[in-house]
Amino acid sequence: MAASRRRGPRVVSSSRQGRGGLTLLVPYVVLLLVVGIIPTGYAIYQSFLARSGSGFGGISAYQSAVTEFQFASSFAHIGLVLAVWLPFMFVGVLGLALLLHGQRSRLVGVYRFIYYLPGALAGMGNFVLWLFLLDPVNSPVRPILSWLGYSTLNQTAEPAHLPVIIALMLFFQGAGTWILVIYGGLNGIPEELGEAAKIDGASHWQVTRHIKLPLVRPWIAYFLLLNVAYASQLFLEPQVLGLATEGQISPQWTPNQLSFTFAFQVFDVPAAAALSVILLAISLVIGVIITTRTGLFSNRD
Amino acid sequence: MTIGSQSVDVAGASRVRRGERPPLFARIAKMTPMTFLTVVALVYLFIMVTFVLASMRSEQSLLRSGAFGPLSISRLQFDWRQLEGFSSGIYFHWLENSAIVAFAGAAIAVAVALPAGYALAMLHFRGRRVLLFLTILTMVMPNTVLVIPLFLEVSAVHQIDKLLPVAVIFGFFPFGTYLAFVHYKTTLPFELLESGRIDGVSEIGLFMRLAVPLAKQAVALVFFFAFVADWTNYFLPLVMLPSSAVQTVSVGLQELITSSQLFNPSAAAGLNVQLYMPELAFAAVLQMLPVLVVFVVAQRYLTRGAMLGAVKG
Repeated sequence: MAASRRRGPRVVSSSRQGRGGLTLLVPYVVLLLVVGIIPTGYAIYQSFLARSGSGFGGISAYQSAVTEFQFASSFAHIGLVLAVWLPFMFVGVLGLALLLHGQRSRLVGVYRFIYYLPGALAGMGNFVLWLFLLDPVNSPVRPILSWLGYSTLNQTAEPAHLPVIIALMLFFQGAGTWILVIYGGLNGIPEELGEAAKIDGASHWQVTRHIKLPLVRPWIAYFLLLNVAYASQLFLEPQVLGLATEGQISPQWTPNQLSFTFAFQVFDVPAAAALSVILLAISLVIGVIITTRTGLFSNRD
Repeated sequence: MTIGSQSVDVAGASRVRRGERPPLFARIAKMTPMTFLTVVALVYLFIMVTFVLASMRSEQSLLRSGAFGPLSISRLQFDWRQLEGFSSGIYFHWLENSAIVAFAGAAIAVAVALPAGYALAMLHFRGRRVLLFLTILTMVMPNTVLVIPLFLEVSAVHQIDKLLPVAVIFGFFPFGTYLAFVHYKTTLPFELLESGRIDGVSEIGLFMRLAVPLAKQAVALVFFFAFVADWTNYFLPLVMLPSSAVQTVSVGLQELITSSQLFNPSAAAGLNVQLYMPELAFAAVLQMLPVLVVFVVAQRYLTRGAMLGAVKG
């Protein structure tokens, strides 16, 4: 509203605007309620029920979720994955985007496409591809795996290796999309800025360090925060890798897997709901930080 | 500084005399980024190409000579027959289910996001800022976060194992609304709406006459991102569609892995088909094709979409 008042004609337009336009919002608001807000409210309600399924249970569901012996370790695993994946992603994505941006070659478009390609094949497809790479029996990188001393999938995918393996899987499927995003951000920088600095004698590195990086900083913040939120939600990779390696990886390796176990194996629905609410709160905090602090979404209004 | 093209040696010698960097070093420094980018691209290609080609090799050849043995196109027929033989061709049924929920979900997403994005960008109403904030907030939250709560909701109304609720859930795509919002904000001038209103066109009429014809790019972007997200989603269909007959292909692919002789010899003992890496790679590539087709169609819109922050975990 504040933005619209600055421009004269729009205030006039608002006085003439008919009410009928709000019909356009109805389907979206209904879905927002049914798919977003109601299930959230229902999960909060369920999380305060007693395990027996009847009656108010206070915070007992939260207690049983938090005191579950896998609870702390599942969050520790997320921390480990982030410790490997985030620096790897940060250096890789930023490095490749900056290198691509400095090139004049026609190949830049081709390379951007190649880096992006695995992103369109994400999920289980990417997972099968990584099974192929990691299983020394068929792997195209068998020499590397055998040099590392692995001759079976269970050796390659032993639990201690999981943070590295998951980091590689996620990098392969996600980096290309983020390269596009950062590259897009770099493209938004007026070229004269870099040119002017170069005339003043700035080196390539100085232009990157003092002009390009500060200008894409909001994108980088967005990228890091979104990836932290994403990692806190890991499910597919540890879950299916656990299934493929005959149980050498805990089926409660991540919080989401623990929540899944509560809901479908232990049938402790309140505890599953409580854990979901905890995870939701984490994502919500990160989401609010992204929305209000990175500055990416404030100037669009 | 000029470089005499006809007397390279002299120019080089004078440069050395003047204590400048030798041209060879400069050339390497210039080439290094490109070389590095090329190496990374080649690694990506190597991984993807060997994987696709694995479906054209026999398991014996993969075991013996890794990913570099002889290829045969007819091997694809063999893979196809193994998939047909697995639980009487249920894999193709899973592909169908995925097609239904992903197309329906993406279509709902487009139909819902366009008018909502338009209204958020062009109309004035109370609660607009709140709705925009909620849109951005839900858009940056990972879509796995609501899976268990959604399961609790859907099972409370006894709709588990049905495709429709999954398609409807997929239809809620706040990122699409945000894309449409930015699209209209940047392409549709307010003055056009003004003159329409003076002519007495209704608000719905304005949307149909002005916004819909302009929507092509927004439709392509929203449909693409929604379709890929829906097609590759694993956690939601795993929870919402527990019965084998209504599963989608990403859960089905997991079922193939857990039924494979390669990863689960004891469970696969009773299997009447081969499910080794060639067949698994074939199945994985098969389920990638629809995404690839949509990707190629939408490709020219993608860079712009990505610049708008087209990423969701």
